[in-house]
Amino acid sequence: MSLLEIDGVVAGYGRGPDILRGVDLTVEEGEVQCIIGPNGAGKSTLLKTIAGLLRPRKGRVVFQGEVLNGLRPDQIIRRGIAFLPQERSLFPDMTVLENLRMGGYALEDKSLMSERIEEAFAQFPILKERYKQKARTLSGGQQQMLVMGRALVLRPHLVMLDEPSLGLAPQIVAQLFEIVRGFKDQGMTVLMVEQNARQGLNCADRGCVLDLGQRVFDGPADGILDDPRIQELYLGTQKKAETS
Amino acid sequence: MIADLPQIIVTGLALGGLYALMASGLTLIFGVMRIVNLAHPAFIFISAYITWKLFTDLSIDPLVALAVTMPVMFVFGMIVYKLFFAREADNPRYIEITVLTTFALALIIEGVLGFIFKGTVRSTNPPYSQQAFFIGDIFLSRAQLYAGLIGIGLIAFLWVILQYTRIGYAIRATTQNRSAAQVVGVNVERTSMIAFGLGVAMAGAAGSLFSFVFTFFPGGHWEWLAILLALIVLGGMGSLPGAVIGAYLLTIASVFVNDQIGFKWGPMTFFLALFIVLMVRPQGLFGSKIEAT
Repeated sequence: MSLLEIDGVVAGYGRGPDILRGVDLTVEEGEVQCIIGPNGAGKSTLLKTIAGLLRPRKGRVVFQGEVLNGLRPDQIIRRGIAFLPQERSLFPDMTVLENLRMGGYALEDKSLMSERIEEAFAQFPILKERYKQKARTLSGGQQQMLVMGRALVLRPHLVMLDEPSLGLAPQIVAQLFEIVRGFKDQGMTVLMVEQNARQGLNCADRGCVLDLGQRVFDGPADGILDDPRIQELYLGTQKKAETS
Repeated sequence: MIADLPQIIVTGLALGGLYALMASGLTLIFGVMRIVNLAHPAFIFISAYITWKLFTDLSIDPLVALAVTMPVMFVFGMIVYKLFFAREADNPRYIEITVLTTFALALIIEGVLGFIFKGTVRSTNPPYSQQAFFIGDIFLSRAQLYAGLIGIGLIAFLWVILQYTRIGYAIRATTQNRSAAQVVGVNVERTSMIAFGLGVAMAGAAGSLFSFVFTFFPGGHWEWLAILLALIVLGGMGSLPGAVIGAYLLTIASVFVNDQIGFKWGPMTFFLALFIVLMVRPQGLFGSKIEAT
């Protein structure tokens, strides 16, 4: 049994059209999977649906054998799925430390929380230096470190990242993907959406191509990188039109 | 130069605590839910009438009545939230709906209060409402002092809840970034309901104190609405420290105007401040600019 199974999921916003038009996808325990695809393919929508921010109109989301359809986001995170949305979801007027504490909000065991905050500080010394500073005063890269640190505090079974490299300087992007690999070493399974397809796939074990609300391909990440058709359509010269 | 200045400041400081308490719930409810609660002063009046009833029928001191009005209004607030606002969170017309709903609530409450208590101007008059301290020449009403101190004490209590408790973290998180609160596992619906209840509980406490400091009649809440909105706009809507500082600044200013220019001009202070703030610094002293979500 796969850790996460998506069966024919159809979803969209409000009364709008279907964005996901019957997506099937599986995520295996312990892997890093990267979803790529053009703008508007439904990549973010898929993660939001798994996280419970959107309700599937059809189909099922099954995590560790349990159907998640209809659960609230705060119930889903307690099942072990954390979602790091595209817009850095920090609390701007809270300090770095308070933001990390919020990361552990869903933890039952509060002594575990302080332990893990210490571990997050060990991995991101810059956060420790600035623990009293408000999150709004951090640079973009530091804010992304804080988001990552927060995920470390919760240490979910499955962590979903939506375009973590968006808006970051190239040297920080490299560091970021190392952190994502680190998640795997710490026992987490990763499902990531990346516009930065090459680097995302380089970091991943397995890749999946989403287009027009459906999965069009999946397989080992290096296989996707080498596939001439996918190269042309989705990696190529990145010549695709900006649709959003 | 101004001989009355110490008197003005003492009176302003004493009254400021009550004004701040009245504004605290309004700013909390706006901060967490983006609801401009036009019924807030009407909620204060409900509590003032409950306090008046307890005082005239059962001789319960208004300060003791606090122990009744706060929990009652807390529960009342949560019910109001559940009935009228819980389902609207994702409505694209959220602002219009909440403004009109709170406006309607204020009208209904005014009507019901008028039906039950008639239009007579009321006030509770416990012994201390007629007494005063004198510090040299300075006159300090006991009623105002008690209301001011309890008001500021309750705000401090609210602040401690917000800063240090689990629900406080959840409320602040929801205020600052609702979707982020959701993704770290905060049940934002439940948090909003409790925050609304807390805000209305503050209105409840304010109503009990209000009952012996000011007079009230069913339609009197509209005037207070304008004053309270001025306070929280000056402080920065959604900011608790802002509401407190806005309250003290404007209370002292209005006492000053009362004293120096004339009683009729006191309330003008608030509206003038409202105009100036909106023109010069619309986000207020402590507010952050609201970003489109």
